[in-house]
Amino acid sequence: MGKSFSVMGAVVFAAGLGWHAMAAADETCMSPYMAKIVGQEDYVYVWTLGQEGVGDGHDKLVTIDVNPESGTYGSVVHTLSVGGRNEAHHGGFTDDRMHFWAGGLDSSRVFVFDIHSEPGKPRLTKTIEDFVSNSGGVVGPHTFYALPGRMLITGLSNNKDRGGRTAMVEYTNDGDYVATYWIPTDGDLQGAKKSGRYADGYGYDVRALPRRNMMLSSSFTGWSNYMMDLGKLLKDQGAMKRFGNTVVLWNLHARKPRKILDVPGAPLELRCAWGANHNYCFTSTALTSKIWLIHEDASGDWQAQAVADIGDPNKVPLPVDISLSSEDDSLWVDSFMDGMTRLYDVRDPFHPKLRYQKRIGKQLNMVSQSWDGKRLYFTSSLLANWDKIGEENEQFFKAYAWNGTELIERFAIDFAAEKLGRPHIMRFGARALYAQAPESHATQVAATSP
Amino acid sequence: MKALRVILIVGLAVAMDSGRAGEPNNPDFGFPAPGTYALPPLRPAADGVVLTSDGRATTLHRVFSGKIVILSFIYTQCSDARGCPLASAVLAQVGRRVDEDPALSQRVRFISLSFDPAHDTPAVMREYGMRFAPEGADWQFLTVTSEAALRPILNGYRQTRQKAYDMNSTFTGTYSHLLRLFLIDERAVIRNIYSADFLDPTLLFHDIITLARQCCRQSQSAGLR
Repeated sequence: MGKSFSVMGAVVFAAGLGWHAMAAADETCMSPYMAKIVGQEDYVYVWTLGQEGVGDGHDKLVTIDVNPESGTYGSVVHTLSVGGRNEAHHGGFTDDRMHFWAGGLDSSRVFVFDIHSEPGKPRLTKTIEDFVSNSGGVVGPHTFYALPGRMLITGLSNNKDRGGRTAMVEYTNDGDYVATYWIPTDGDLQGAKKSGRYADGYGYDVRALPRRNMMLSSSFTGWSNYMMDLGKLLKDQGAMKRFGNTVVLWNLHARKPRKILDVPGAPLELRCAWGANHNYCFTSTALTSKIWLIHEDASGDWQAQAVADIGDPNKVPLPVDISLSSEDDSLWVDSFMDGMTRLYDVRDPFHPKLRYQKRIGKQLNMVSQSWDGKRLYFTSSLLANWDKIGEENEQFFKAYAWNGTELIERFAIDFAAEKLGRPHIMRFGARALYAQAPESHATQVAATSP
Repeated sequence: MKALRVILIVGLAVAMDSGRAGEPNNPDFGFPAPGTYALPPLRPAADGVVLTSDGRATTLHRVFSGKIVILSFIYTQCSDARGCPLASAVLAQVGRRVDEDPALSQRVRFISLSFDPAHDTPAVMREYGMRFAPEGADWQFLTVTSEAALRPILNGYRQTRQKAYDMNSTFTGTYSHLLRLFLIDERAVIRNIYSADFLDPTLLFHDIITLARQCCRQSQSAGLR
């Protein structure tokens, strides 16, 4: 029996929404439990850090119209200030994609936005003020990762010493605290096996491969470092020793650490492959400028190895965000200091090959790509006290088309000139996810299922 | 044809159950043994007025009857073999394993509740149940009288469901929905939520055993290991 459903253009529901995921990419960086937009996205939500003297100076959720068929394509269509500067950083959708959770690394507040009622006009529905006390002292909610009916939030620090010792914290989608899972240390391995020198207890990102019952967490640094001026930090030898050197492998279902892998040099973003038999994930190390592969070996154990340099490590380009394509064949890697994005062919994940690079701006952080890899979006800000200063402090959102050979800029928004602030994480929105027509379309377009 | 479709779906479920989660090479990375992990309470399971497959009006909590419940929201016209039908096939596998332990099976009930009251009458649900539920299984197939009765239940379980319309704005009879299953303990508290995309019968079975062991009163007398 053929099935008809309402769609906008080529937007199709995937993963869990009544029919099997066709899979396809920042769309590619999200939880596998979540519905995905495999066609044209309508909006990009940008969680933006307020900047003193720029507009209202407050953190805000900025909504940008990115549908070329829209009359407001390329423009900011909505902003929602949350009050204060919390060190807005990352956010993520719930598994049903009805809400967007976003955090502040300084205040440890968590903001919950309704992005389904009117996708072009998010509403703040809840602010979680007791993340630190509920979690038992975790500071700096960073990654918001959807599990079925729940949200797993990584911390960066703790309220005792403001160092890197931290945990992951689980909440229900309603915003009720469930549990805290401390990252293992030498003094508290929790049954995890150390693979080498390190068991630092630090955290940063988390990603899961449910079909292998595993998840990975990476490691960065604590509040005392990430809230410090970068120039001052680089001169502080003691502080520079307090960066993470581990990726922890977890039993996903039990939420228990199984193995601690040595990945020295602050492994940051984690991206796991989508292929049914691709049991591996990538990360990049900020301080040592390498791509690392975390992979399952023939015995079913997991290993980590460096597989490529990013730029010239001696120049410390500071790799930050990465984005893996939906076909697992290419990996975009951004570096903050030189403002470059680099594209690696990772069809052989053990031997990535650089195939393209482009300077996006004077500083660069996040990259998000559409599921088909044809559209890429970039933002500039890393941390308020780490962003460059003066003329070098470009704050932008840039939209590109990728034609397989080169990036072609479609439009750019100057977040300073628009008095918005420092743009950070991006997430996509589509009206068709909630069976809504775009504002510029009066009728719905139907299609039959394959 | 219906029987063949069920066989194919069950076959797919069996194939999914094998070679997953690190088996057989490294059991350390497989599913954790029952009772070695926690299932923290998530929230109270919502109640609501439902119809049994013989047309009797009752409430969800009365159907729970103080048992360990796996509750799934389905609709019988789901044409995606890897959606509702697969979830039902996986539950059938779990049910067979539960039934191997008579003491355990007395404490466990499966409930499939339709969110399509217009089509899924009690008679339709009864017929659907006959296709999936092993004979003698404690598996209730429920529906509701109306959209008005359904709404508070869907809200209570945060279950989203959207009707699909064609280009003439006519309802097609199909839905897009995030298929979830809920593990509910004997005090009617939700203890786990599963996505249909990663629904493993071993994982569900282990969770049921884990819950059963936590209620020491009956587990000791039942001799559960």
